[in-house]
Amino acid sequence: MASFDVMPHIELYKPTELADALELADRLGPRGWLLGGGQDTYGWFKDRAKNAEAMIDLNGIEALHGIRETADGIEIGAATTLREIVRDPLLNERFAVLPAAAARVASPQIRNVGTLGGNLVQDTRCWYYRRGLACYRAGGNLCYADSPQGMNREHCVFGASRCVAVSPSDTATAMVALDATMVATSVDGERLIPAGRFFALPETHITRMTTLEPGEILTAVRLPARWAGKRFYFEKVADRDVWDFALVSIAAAFDLDGGNIGDARVVCGGVAAVPWRLREVERALRGRAPGADTGEAVAALATRGARPLNYNHFKLPLMENLVRRALREPA
Amino acid sequence: MNIAEFKRDVWGREVLLGVSWDLLWVIVALSFAFIALHAIGMAVLGRRGPKPSSDGPRVARHAAVDRAFHWIMAVSVFVLLVTGVLPIIGIEFAWLTIHWIAGLVLTVVVLFHIVRSLFWLDLKSMWIAPRDLKEPFDSSVKPGKYSLAQKSMHAAVTVLSLLVIGSGLVMFAMIDTPWWNRTNALSESTLGWVFFIHGLSTLLLIATISLHVYFGLRPEKLFYLRSMIKGWVSRDELEAHHDSSRWSAGESN
Amino acid sequence: MSDYKHIGKDFTPPDVVGKVTGKARYAEDFRADGMVYARVYTSPMAHGRVVNIDTSALDDMPGIIGIITADDVPAVEAPGAAMLTNLPVYIGDPILAVAAEDETTAENALAAIRVDIEPLPFAVDPLDSLVEGGPDAREEGNVYVRSREGSGFRRIKWTPEQIDEFRAGREPTGEHAAEWEYGDVEQGFAAAEVIYEEPFVTVGYAHMSMEPRTAMAYWENGKCHLYASSQSQSFWMPGLARLLEIDMADIVLISENTGGGFGSKIGAYPMAALPAWFSKKIGRPVQLRITREQEYYVGSARVGFQGWMKIGFAANGRVTASDVFIVEDIGPNATGGDGSSAAGAVSLVYDPEAMRFRGLPVLTNTTPRGAQRGPGQNQIAAVMAPIMDRAARDLGIDRVEIRRINAANNATTVYEDQEPVTSAYMKEALDMGAEMFDWERRKQKPAKNGSKVRGIGIGQGYHSAGANGYDGLVRITPDGKIHLHSGVGNLGTYSYASTVRSAAEVLKCDWEDCVIHHGTTEAHLPWSSYQAGSNTSFTHQRANYVAALDAVDKLKQVAARMLGGSPDDFDIDGKRVFAVANPSRGMSYADAAAHAISLGGTFSGQEVPEDIHEVTRRSVENLAGSGLVGVAKDNLRKEGVVPGLAVAFAEIELDLETGKYQILDYVGIAECGTVVHPQGLAAQMKGGAVWGMGMAGLERHVYDPQNGLPAGVGYYQCRIPTYLDTPSEIRTGAVDLPDPQSPFGARGIGEPAMGCSVAAITSAIADALDGHVFNRTPVSADMIVNHVAGREQSFVALQTNNF
Ligand SMILES: Cc1cc2nc3c(=O)[nH]c(=O)nc-3n(C[C@H](O)[C@H](O)[C@H](O)COP(=O)(O)OP(=O)(O)OC[C@H]3O[C@@H](n4cnc5c(N)ncnc54)[C@H](O)[C@@H]3O)c2cc1C
Repeated sequence: MASFDVMPHIELYKPTELADALELADRLGPRGWLLGGGQDTYGWFKDRAKNAEAMIDLNGIEALHGIRETADGIEIGAATTLREIVRDPLLNERFAVLPAAAARVASPQIRNVGTLGGNLVQDTRCWYYRRGLACYRAGGNLCYADSPQGMNREHCVFGASRCVAVSPSDTATAMVALDATMVATSVDGERLIPAGRFFALPETHITRMTTLEPGEILTAVRLPARWAGKRFYFEKVADRDVWDFALVSIAAAFDLDGGNIGDARVVCGGVAAVPWRLREVERALRGRAPGADTGEAVAALATRGARPLNYNHFKLPLMENLVRRALREPA
Repeated sequence: MNIAEFKRDVWGREVLLGVSWDLLWVIVALSFAFIALHAIGMAVLGRRGPKPSSDGPRVARHAAVDRAFHWIMAVSVFVLLVTGVLPIIGIEFAWLTIHWIAGLVLTVVVLFHIVRSLFWLDLKSMWIAPRDLKEPFDSSVKPGKYSLAQKSMHAAVTVLSLLVIGSGLVMFAMIDTPWWNRTNALSESTLGWVFFIHGLSTLLLIATISLHVYFGLRPEKLFYLRSMIKGWVSRDELEAHHDSSRWSAGESN
Repeated sequence: MSDYKHIGKDFTPPDVVGKVTGKARYAEDFRADGMVYARVYTSPMAHGRVVNIDTSALDDMPGIIGIITADDVPAVEAPGAAMLTNLPVYIGDPILAVAAEDETTAENALAAIRVDIEPLPFAVDPLDSLVEGGPDAREEGNVYVRSREGSGFRRIKWTPEQIDEFRAGREPTGEHAAEWEYGDVEQGFAAAEVIYEEPFVTVGYAHMSMEPRTAMAYWENGKCHLYASSQSQSFWMPGLARLLEIDMADIVLISENTGGGFGSKIGAYPMAALPAWFSKKIGRPVQLRITREQEYYVGSARVGFQGWMKIGFAANGRVTASDVFIVEDIGPNATGGDGSSAAGAVSLVYDPEAMRFRGLPVLTNTTPRGAQRGPGQNQIAAVMAPIMDRAARDLGIDRVEIRRINAANNATTVYEDQEPVTSAYMKEALDMGAEMFDWERRKQKPAKNGSKVRGIGIGQGYHSAGANGYDGLVRITPDGKIHLHSGVGNLGTYSYASTVRSAAEVLKCDWEDCVIHHGTTEAHLPWSSYQAGSNTSFTHQRANYVAALDAVDKLKQVAARMLGGSPDDFDIDGKRVFAVANPSRGMSYADAAAHAISLGGTFSGQEVPEDIHEVTRRSVENLAGSGLVGVAKDNLRKEGVVPGLAVAFAEIELDLETGKYQILDYVGIAECGTVVHPQGLAAQMKGGAVWGMGMAGLERHVYDPQNGLPAGVGYYQCRIPTYLDTPSEIRTGAVDLPDPQSPFGARGIGEPAMGCSVAAITSAIADALDGHVFNRTPVSADMIVNHVAGREQSFVALQTNNF
């Protein structure tokens, strides 16, 4: 086995029209690779752990850029950079949980080029998988991380099915908390996918992180007005305060109804292959006023049904603590 | 075309990954081709003698418990095939839990059947004896309870299901279940063999079962299907297809 | 000290501009005509035997120039790290290299080569190897002992019960391999009021040099030209000559800039020699590029500790006895000595009245180990600080005070042999730090605020910081320039430049008139120490000092010869040598240099002192006749250990709910004698502080024990602290009291600058958690969360690979 770091020869298409990109995506299917900022992509290719015949660079497509107000909320083009999201006044005003999450992605350099689409669709960071090992996720027949001696501190506590990898995306948790709609476009047209069904668990999609099909491009994300200006909370705990993936993160949205919580979305990152909704917590919150007591009352529900691995049971108290904090901290 | 697929193990060595699923299409195609040819052949060449009547005295052929076994097995195998194969051909759903539950059901009923056939059933009636081999060539040689074709089918299903169950149980031990956490106790090359055996026996089962279903549904053999549902054949049917001296229908239910 | 012209003053080292503009060239930036690109194929297996190498796929691959295997290069004697090997002992051990017209082709070749390796048993945690029936990391044994009496492999096993009792924190009873002792340890413990026994773990981790050890080599007229990433310059030559099996005179080593070494590039390492061998084989210049991932394999790492410590304190806080047992994770290459160095540091920093050290260096199939900033001293500093705090608390003594009570001073004797120190002012450093940090006030601050708790910590760092016996070389040319030849490597500390300033000081010349020569053999450099062990400041101030004295002496002699009188009648200043009695009777340095050339002999380097090193001699020979040459070996008095000391104070705010802590404030105080280069010192103190913060909370090796795989093969996985993980301001100070054995009073500081930091943080964490001691570095967020939640930690005691 060798270690590689030179970009191998791969065709590069730079379409400027969405239609051309869709056509290319359709023609190339699984042999093609969509390219946003490349911050996930280049690692795979340079390491030769994954390959593709051609990259379809989406950055030159005007229609995929920008943050727009629509009749029912805000639409963000998939090629919008994370930096633009962090700084956007409209998002900060109405959907502050998203810029807050985006601001904790990786590092400023990566956020300058990393796109929303790329961030949402990025692959997991399981270190065994990234090493290029032929594990379940890579089409193999075993998991190296979930074994008696596997080093799985950063792996999942929910939703495992043979594979125990977690979703690394910080913006994904915010998307689920905001009931965002993902716009998947292909030559056959648009498919609208609720964020909650966009991300995929290994029990169904062991080799993919999302339900996007080959040939489909995530063109935009729509944030419904329903959640605009609600009370939000985002926090990410990582070993380092920048340039690091979440050990556990939380994105929460509370719809307050006369001081009490009506509807709530409480979503954890870093605990499953998808942003993990804490539905029991959400249910228990109905009709309660946010605050330390409520947090205390519902925290334990966060980890019901969790199955920690050998090195990651710390994620349980951490999740519970983050739920406490989400309810305690003033908006 | 490859029969097997290979991968690199954790230390970069080439090891078996499992069966090549390209074979699936080959198996399906071959099975259908055979069935089609057979059906056409039968339609063209088939001797159409008088159809034995289902009326008249009845002879018990399959006891209720054996019928139950057969159908439970059939259902579990069907579930196993669907849950095992569909994801491979790109229809993704949460299959694994259903698959192993069905696998456990199959294991239990097969164990039951083995025990029952060892102690309560007439094992010999399924045994392929040398004289059975004359059956296809000599129309005067009639089978006992089971025809050579049925015995062969049974033998194939026995071997394949034991292989698929055995390998499946090993694979089952390699995943997390409510009772245990997975281990990586097997070397990757051993694991590759297990997957290969599981996959290959699955493929062969697909072929075998296709034929089984086909023959089960053939008009001249429909009475077997009925016997597997209702338990009996008519004396007439028995006389037409079996040698009653070799099958004392009265005794063995 | 303000009457010095250069010492104690900031200056701009000449390479700074290149570094901030990107113009500085590193080994990877050099090209030669016809150069080819080589890359190594490394072992995917932690331990194995190569049974077959199949390169047939390269036969008709265009652009392949050549292949080099272990059979083409000299074997390095086990356990030394190999250049190329057929018996890989860790994942990443180089097996062969391929050269191609371009890098992509080289990588295509690597992908196409098939190497069959038969696996052998391996161990990634020393205790797994130590237990009966456990695997040996090398076929020769599982322990490698280096000692004055001789070095060699051993096979040492403990019973499972012995391993268990070690894990349980009881005194190890298993066999050890090294031992020393001074004083009466039994009696020391008998006299103690309180005694602590603690097991501890410090996990090894990578050096993380920003510049991987890429090298380029070619041969010309029988000489090997090598562009390499080295920490030292002249010191590399003998080792390189051995690796290349040629004479030192036939090597041109170019290493103008180095992107960090931190102990991993002290001496010539095998990967630097490989392109030279490859170039020899294929007859073309070869650049061997080491990838970031490979740097984590061949780039070496800190030795990990699994230990047990017993320490007794008298009621007045004095340390009466200490007993230290350390199992060292020495990797596959058995770098040595961290354990004993750690114990040595204990003997100095806490000055126990009696002490015993027992050590057991165990081989593992992990990245080769090398000295890393404070090898041993810094691991033990992290372990000791919270124990000192606990003793202070139990005895009702202030935490600074208990350190003052045991502080190293001029009378302290250290190590096994209880040697003296040249000078030591730990008490002064503690006082200065306490004052700058406002210890007394901060002690009183409320500790808890919601889920956040404050903790304050004190750390002490030590490393011996000075050697002697090296050469200095200065030269004055007829154009009046002062040429300062520095054989010191440019590893980023600027000591190559700051140490030659002592020559400028002696020569009383302006900095503008000085030219520093360094970074290549062709600059004719003197023999120098390695740039490690925090020694350069002390060592090379001395060497440059004696060389400059020699130049001054020669200036006076030239003047006396030319102008009459005795050399003693003359003095120097303002770039002139003149008669003391009549300053107008004299000549400029320029004229003196011209005269020196015509006088020849020792004046212009035609003759050289007997005692200088071969490397210096050759340089002087090459320079002979070009000016007035001052050259000398440092024969100044040096008795005792030269201590580099540092203390740090840190305040953290730890969030009990997330396990994360912010370092709110940090004060680092250097006790390194006279400050010679304030900016350089501050940079060392800050860099050391950041590194210590990384060691305390973030950086660690993780290996998968089942497969021997390393998890950390990239920057982000290895978690060096970032800007946001460190305080926005790191305050530093220096005691600035001169050391009597250094001409300008300076000692080194590099390593203690980090040791005090890691210790201050472990101390602060324990303080924040009401004295809870993890006895482990790094202390990661998950450990804190588990502790606060009252949950078991995920790892078993003393386990090393736990994330
Ligand atoms: C050191 C490091 C640290 C990081 N830390 C974090 C972190 O803390 N949090 C975090 O969330 N991320 C983190 N990341 C991941 C990084 O932020 C993402 O990789 C980046 O945001 C992805 O964006 P990109 O546009 O560069 O992706 P690309 O590499 O261009 O794309 C990523 C994937 O998405 C696919 N893709 C891209 N655009 C589309 C589209 N429009 N439709 C469909 N598929 C698409 C690509 O085909 C590819 O598979 C880190 C990455 C690195 C290298």
